[in-house]
Amino acid sequence: MENGAEDTKDPSGFLTNIIGKNVLVKLNSGVIYKGRLQSVDGYMNIALDECNEWSEGQQVRKYGEAFVRGNNVQYISADT
Amino acid sequence: MLFFSFFKTLIDHEVTVELKNEISIRGTLKSVDQFLNIKLDNIQVVEEIRWPHLSSTKNLFIRGSVVRYIHLPSSAVDTALLEDASRREATAAKDKKAA
Amino acid sequence: MSDAEETASNPVSEPLDLVRLCLDEVVSVKLRGDRELKGRLHAYDSHCNLVLGDVEETIYITEEDEHEQEVQRIIKKQSEMLFVRGDSVVLISPFQ
Repeated sequence: MENGAEDTKDPSGFLTNIIGKNVLVKLNSGVIYKGRLQSVDGYMNIALDECNEWSEGQQVRKYGEAFVRGNNVQYISADT
Repeated sequence: MLFFSFFKTLIDHEVTVELKNEISIRGTLKSVDQFLNIKLDNIQVVEEIRWPHLSSTKNLFIRGSVVRYIHLPSSAVDTALLEDASRREATAAKDKKAA
Repeated sequence: MSDAEETASNPVSEPLDLVRLCLDEVVSVKLRGDRELKGRLHAYDSHCNLVLGDVEETIYITEEDEHEQEVQRIIKKQSEMLFVRGDSVVLISPFQ
């Protein structure tokens, strides 16, 4: 791959590109986490900064930092 | 491998295994394998009235994947050693990934 | 950039590093089945198997009362030393 990390055409390229940005992570349970993406690995384990937990449209909790186990993740979206 | 080694150090200790289906079983840890399947001796079901169907059973093999928690005697756990082993395992995993 | 370069150049580069930095600290762990744990992290591995010390477990139960209204019930349990199987883990965070 010539563009390396700049390549957004493959999914993991997208993920490395949005590191440091605000993201929205939705879990299979429907719970949503919003925060700054610290890092992500091949299992879709995620580390978030300044993380807010949303459930049923309500903000329910705040975490300074949070590790989310990848198997629970439905999608990661660049928060706009 | 960390937890496999850890549980081997707990053999012959009394533990309480809480399964994902809510049943809790107390017994003596007799063996463990790499999947964290375990064998318990001299078992006793916590809240036996709720779960009477194991009352005549003396020992069990429990598949690792059905376990939620294992309650341990804190006197049998060297926490500083565990923390160092966790750091070493993390470094080893990274070296393996980098290689 | 290869994985190798990435991990070598940055010591805090993957999500599990966050968990490593929580060793010997109090963490809160969110689990499947509306459960939460608070305790000191003594061990973890890449599956998120954990050992926690001085643990408080909180279980959130939603029930229907006699008028079929949903009511929340909370159960708290203590444990001196607890192994947690990784497949139940949803989230790990330093306790604040």
